Amino acid sequence: MLGLGIESTAHTFSCAIVEKKGKKGRILSDIRKIYRPTEGEGIHPREASRHHIENSSSVLSECLREANITIKDLDIISYAAGPGLGPCLRVGAVVARSLSSFYKIPIYPVNHAIGHIELGKLLTGATNPLVLLVSGGHTMLLAFLNKQWRVFGETLDITLGQLLDQFGRSIGFASPCGKNIEELASTSSNYIMLPYSVKGNDVSFSGLLSATKSIAKKSKVDACYSLQETAFAMISEVVERALSFTCKKELMIVGGVAANKRLSEMLRDVCKRHGCKFFVVPLRYAGDCGSQICWTGLLESQVKQGTLLKDTLVTQSWRLDSVKIDY
Amino acid sequence: MKLRKKGAEADIYQTTWQNSKAILKIRKTKNYRNTSLDSKIRKQRTIKESQMISQVKSFGIPTPLVYFVNLEKTLIVMQEIPGKPVHDLPESKIIELSKEIGKLVGILHKNGVMHGDLTTSNFILFKNTVFVIDFGLSQNTIKPEDHAVDLRLIKEILNSAHVKIMEPAWKNFLNGYKSIVGYVNYIKITKLVSDIESRGRYATVI
Repeated sequence: MLGLGIESTAHTFSCAIVEKKGKKGRILSDIRKIYRPTEGEGIHPREASRHHIENSSSVLSECLREANITIKDLDIISYAAGPGLGPCLRVGAVVARSLSSFYKIPIYPVNHAIGHIELGKLLTGATNPLVLLVSGGHTMLLAFLNKQWRVFGETLDITLGQLLDQFGRSIGFASPCGKNIEELASTSSNYIMLPYSVKGNDVSFSGLLSATKSIAKKSKVDACYSLQETAFAMISEVVERALSFTCKKELMIVGGVAANKRLSEMLRDVCKRHGCKFFVVPLRYAGDCGSQICWTGLLESQVKQGTLLKDTLVTQSWRLDSVKIDY
Repeated sequence: MKLRKKGAEADIYQTTWQNSKAILKIRKTKNYRNTSLDSKIRKQRTIKESQMISQVKSFGIPTPLVYFVNLEKTLIVMQEIPGKPVHDLPESKIIELSKEIGKLVGILHKNGVMHGDLTTSNFILFKNTVFVIDFGLSQNTIKPEDHAVDLRLIKEILNSAHVKIMEPAWKNFLNGYKSIVGYVNYIKITKLVSDIESRGRYATVI
């Protein structure tokens, strides 16, 4: 089976072709264009959606060309229907709908967060993991139970990605800032005490953000280092809590922040202590991409018919723990 | 000494203290954590836990007796409660005990204590009494927001680990809680719980 997946929830517009044979999936192409805001600023939803519109046709044709197929070869089309920025989501939905109605191909709206998890499972081979989803839009600990992903812990305010981005922008980086912060942090080892806020299995980052901004006035490098150490220690602690509570023997980390080496180093240590296997989604597929959406759509097509065009909406706030999973 | 459980932040050993069975809880160094942050956290929580376990006894919360504390090694030796964690009990029993747990949490809050880690593993049923353990994240606080964080936590656990019995268990919990803190406080705190939930990511705002 051949699927096309379209991702446009935030700064990335991406199309991907994935081939599914039984339980196996093979990514034939995955093309992305990423909207870059000016330095010190975040995503402007209108500008981002304009970027997506301008790039949509070239990304689509490039992805078909690289996979060496035509639209008529496709069995299904899936698009990220949420959660995300409304104007951006609509671009992906419009492209998907147009193709689906013109070529009469079944269409599947997919939850973006589930996409991260499902592609992670495909690429890492994890079977029954505790999932840490850390990105600009999510900071959640999840385990699969009774046909749904259940939340065992999450952020009570901003996400880990937002924490890094908002701090990064305040010292002049352009979003996404994780990489720049990681580079600066690796040059310091001077830890400055920052608020550490773990509430049971949940974390809260807003106080940490304000405190880090104020210590950055003295030293940006120490601030980056201390921010990473504190925030990642908080994440590691809630991961440990969830591991010991759920007795899972696998941990999988997905989402944009999964690319951070210091975070995976800490989590690797956590897993060693709990005798559990550690899986990190490959760097290239950590961030948002069409393959995530495509693979999830292909999985859904095993048990569901395509969605009626009139129901192919977008939902800006769509929690993944409200999605029922039958495949 | 026999290792009983590798918990999230501490290792639990079975030991003896003056000829009676006891539990040794030790918060070991975590290599992944920055050293100064690590020692601060471990010390703080050892102090907090040993103090609070004794403090809450004064208003009738069943907790283990603390026998010995070593701050240098961040360890606590305490009485063993030879029961079963509520988490491991049959579902019907969890539903039934939820009311008692609600009452215990109500008593803690009424006396200005937030537990900070309300999971079903931190309540132990022994001879028809529910014991409360694991006070490492507890705080003396009368702030309604803090109490609401406690309630949200146990709700999150019921909604994930015990999702099949979430509704009756949560209802019983709230009834037990209300019977202790009174109607006015109950309304105030549960309203705050919804506030916290609505601040969450992609929450359904009603």
